[in-house]
Amino acid sequence: MSFYCHIPITELNGAELEKLSSDMKLSLSRVDMEAVQVIFRDWKREPTDVELEVIAQTWSEHCKHRIFGAEITHVKDGKSEVVSSLFMTYIKELSEEIFARKPGFVLSAFHDNAGFIELDDKLAICLKVETHNHPSAIEPYAGANTGLGGVIRDILGAGKGAKPIASLDVFCFGAPDTAADEIKADGVIHPLGVMRGVVRGVRDYGNRMGIPTVGGAIQFDPSYIYNPLVYCGTAGVIPREYIDKEMSPGLKIISVGGRTGRDGLHGATFSSAALGTDSHEEDLQAVQIGNPIEEKKAADFVLEARDRNLIEFITDCGAGGYSSAAGEMLSEVGGEIFLDEVKLKEPGMVSWEIFISESQERMVLAVKEEDLPELKELADIYETELTELGNSDGSGILKVWHHGELVCELDCRPLHDAPTRHLQSTYTSPSGTASSRDIECMDPAADLKALLGDFAIVSREPVIREYDHEVQGNTLLKPLAGAAGDAPQDAAVMNIDGSERLMAMSQALLPEWGKYDPFAMGAACVDECFRQLVAAGSNPDKIALLDNFCVGNPEDPKELGELVECVKGMAGAADAYSAPFISGKDSFYNYFETDEGPVSIPVTALISGIGVVDDKKHVTGASIRHADSVLCVIGATGDAMGGSVYGRQKELGDRAPLPVTHCDEHLELYRAYHEAVKNGWILAAHDIGEGGLAVALAEMGFSGKAGVEVQLEKMVTGEDASVTACLFAETPGRLLVEVAAADVPALLESMLGAAVAEIGRTTDAHRNLQISFDGKVLIDEALNELKAIWKNGLTPYY
Amino acid sequence: MEKRPHALLLKFPGTNCDAETARALEAVGFSADVLPISQVEPSKLEAVDLVVLSGGFSYGDYVMAGRLAQLVSENALGDSLKQFRDAGGYLLGICNGFQILTRMGLLPEGSLIHNDSGRFKCNWVKLKKSGLKDSPFLRALPDEFELPIAHAEGRFVTKQASEAEALVASGLGVLTYAEDINGSFSQIAGLQDESGRVLGLMPHPERFMEKAHHYDPDWTNVTGGKHGSGHYLFQSIFEEISKK
Repeated sequence: MSFYCHIPITELNGAELEKLSSDMKLSLSRVDMEAVQVIFRDWKREPTDVELEVIAQTWSEHCKHRIFGAEITHVKDGKSEVVSSLFMTYIKELSEEIFARKPGFVLSAFHDNAGFIELDDKLAICLKVETHNHPSAIEPYAGANTGLGGVIRDILGAGKGAKPIASLDVFCFGAPDTAADEIKADGVIHPLGVMRGVVRGVRDYGNRMGIPTVGGAIQFDPSYIYNPLVYCGTAGVIPREYIDKEMSPGLKIISVGGRTGRDGLHGATFSSAALGTDSHEEDLQAVQIGNPIEEKKAADFVLEARDRNLIEFITDCGAGGYSSAAGEMLSEVGGEIFLDEVKLKEPGMVSWEIFISESQERMVLAVKEEDLPELKELADIYETELTELGNSDGSGILKVWHHGELVCELDCRPLHDAPTRHLQSTYTSPSGTASSRDIECMDPAADLKALLGDFAIVSREPVIREYDHEVQGNTLLKPLAGAAGDAPQDAAVMNIDGSERLMAMSQALLPEWGKYDPFAMGAACVDECFRQLVAAGSNPDKIALLDNFCVGNPEDPKELGELVECVKGMAGAADAYSAPFISGKDSFYNYFETDEGPVSIPVTALISGIGVVDDKKHVTGASIRHADSVLCVIGATGDAMGGSVYGRQKELGDRAPLPVTHCDEHLELYRAYHEAVKNGWILAAHDIGEGGLAVALAEMGFSGKAGVEVQLEKMVTGEDASVTACLFAETPGRLLVEVAAADVPALLESMLGAAVAEIGRTTDAHRNLQISFDGKVLIDEALNELKAIWKNGLTPYY
Repeated sequence: MEKRPHALLLKFPGTNCDAETARALEAVGFSADVLPISQVEPSKLEAVDLVVLSGGFSYGDYVMAGRLAQLVSENALGDSLKQFRDAGGYLLGICNGFQILTRMGLLPEGSLIHNDSGRFKCNWVKLKKSGLKDSPFLRALPDEFELPIAHAEGRFVTKQASEAEALVASGLGVLTYAEDINGSFSQIAGLQDESGRVLGLMPHPERFMEKAHHYDPDWTNVTGGKHGSGHYLFQSIFEEISKK
């Protein structure tokens, strides 16, 4: 059997090139194939199968993010503009401008496995979030398992090896009570099966690795039945001197960790195409198999090797396997890889399979030859396998040898730039004008109960308890806290060994908003993430963000138009908050070919962020602490109800406008809030988000420490907000805070002229939530009864 | 310089609470070393006062929790751990370490199996100190205190339920859950051996070293101390060893 072959392409016509790409599952377009043809015609030879596979990995949407780099002709309300690259224009260049505004804050971004920000003068922190949507749709447990495993390796491969210290996991599923006949295609796993598999997959990887899973969110919507979304993120910490790494000639390339098998072939290219009914059988090979203990051993090895200064360069084996890792290390400096050295899980693997396999738990390092003996000893100590793969040589050529033959010899320079894609997008601005007064709110108490029992809002406790969120002993603000230990918090705050400062981590996504106004969604997600980080105690000047987009079919101008608007909304808010993006990722082709046509997800942006908390005293929870405090709302409440959970329950659809995020005003209030935190005036703070003020009040009251009495007429409202809006609108920019009565004058004084109001108090007289307007009682419900609805919402399903 | 009590933490592939447990030991005054199991041999126990098996998933715990770690340890150490105890040494097993010590037979007979819920469970629990027998690990702790748990296999069972009851009655069942947490017989959360020098417990004292670790920002220590409950467990054994 031959282990590699030459594939004649230089004489093929366009249709034949396209067929070849399809037959080999390369996911390269005709234009791409023609570009490859030009390169090989220039070189006057035919490519090997290994070379074609390497190019397909390099140019895949998964690795190259070509839609974010595409030239897009965007037509909004009939007006046309050309966006030369979403990534360059709205993410990279914008962020670099923000870096310049705060020198020394961002220490590395956009070129490594994760971006780093300053924690203090010795340490830096980083965060990376990835998606594992397609694998999780086909095999939920293994897909989510390796999704988390992969992003943990990103952190281990960031700088010269960062230590993973916290994870977050965000999922979008169909509702767990979806009726079987609502699923219009064969071979689709029921949302409940997807949810259980995904949660257990994350649980078993994170818990075994000993990394606390402290953050997360779950969204439920029928549009995710066919394409569930699984975002996995991990944060890390590193001594600053280990951030920079550089390749040079004469280094040894070694692999550490698991062996290489046929699991995970074509993962990168598979995730760059749509799913269909056949995917569940045909593409199973593209799903990897996880082994967290293998990765734990590799992690122990890497961190010890780093501390002994034995690592020159390191990266993880993710999409594209060795081909991507070696490509990253050798594409400029050049070098040789010997496939015969690779330890295999099974015999008979041909060259390309070994080179692109996405088998898990492998890290690739470049090290000095004289350090090899010490590294081998270290591998023995931690019982992980170390393999010498090759060396860097300064030739600029990537050479891959197998059985004594040169199976790949690529000058990577012509491959750096894949052909630019040209795409069309269209967008029509939303036109809803309905006011909140058009919604009938007959019984506010019943409406509040319905919200607390809505899948969008119910407690995620059954899921959270399956994650070890305390391992490493550094979780100060836990995902569930307050006096009873089970109330929701806005962000997680982690103690960092060796520093007086702490890290807050949070995330926001609002797909319901995106259905009607993706621009509003983009801005509001940035606001919510930023606000949650500030609420928990972060310094507003020390926050960095990540953007992760999931989109359906980018070739559909309407779907692409929604993405463009979302990115613009997001970029505008990040600019206003001077919160730079330090990393991001995108996932396209999240649509499914059913018998009744394709079903796409709504454009779904996850904004996650890390913030520096300057002092342990600034850590602020979201649960009421005392029975004699004052409650204040910081920020004005508007009338717009579009995109809200309440609006969805009342079937508002696109009839109402979505709230506008007034970033500049909000930022001023967040700064004032942070000063109040530093002054010790804030006992507790909760962001007002899904479900509006009424839900936020209930959630703060779930600590059981006090009853709550609020008078809505005291609220600061803009846009003539109605009582319904005061209760349930999701206007961005608002915080609900608990303050000791003695500190209220000082707090109000410090925010003079801003939209801040004392709206009520906590009391020991009862344990109810009482909300009135102009003397009329709207809601008077026992908090423990409200809590039972909220707390038990998911228990029948998980 | 005065010699500090020395703790040795054995680390298996998959052990993942070693760093914070070492940090906790150092916080109360121990010197602490983490030793990967591949480097373990009987001579490494010399000059060690306390051997600690910390939490995690040794070898993934894909067989019964702690089973492979037990076999590998016995292979590396023979019966040196028993000799170490008989010679006056102290042993502490936390979570996975408790499971391993139980499988090694260093603690009263029984087994830690899957929680009756069939699930991993991470939350805070109230614990009761038996008080019938003195435990050098628990002296500085009040009769009731809280610690976090995080385990899938923490249900302590014996062949007959009466054996577990007997363990509590005799005082070897030194720690019990105030409420039924995982289906443990007699709600046993921690056990000691007859000598009192070996303690195994499912909860994680190393995760509650300071007040700020508690979920309630207004938590106060009933004994008026400024630390979290876990601190007093490590401090107790530190004082026991120091006074020798």
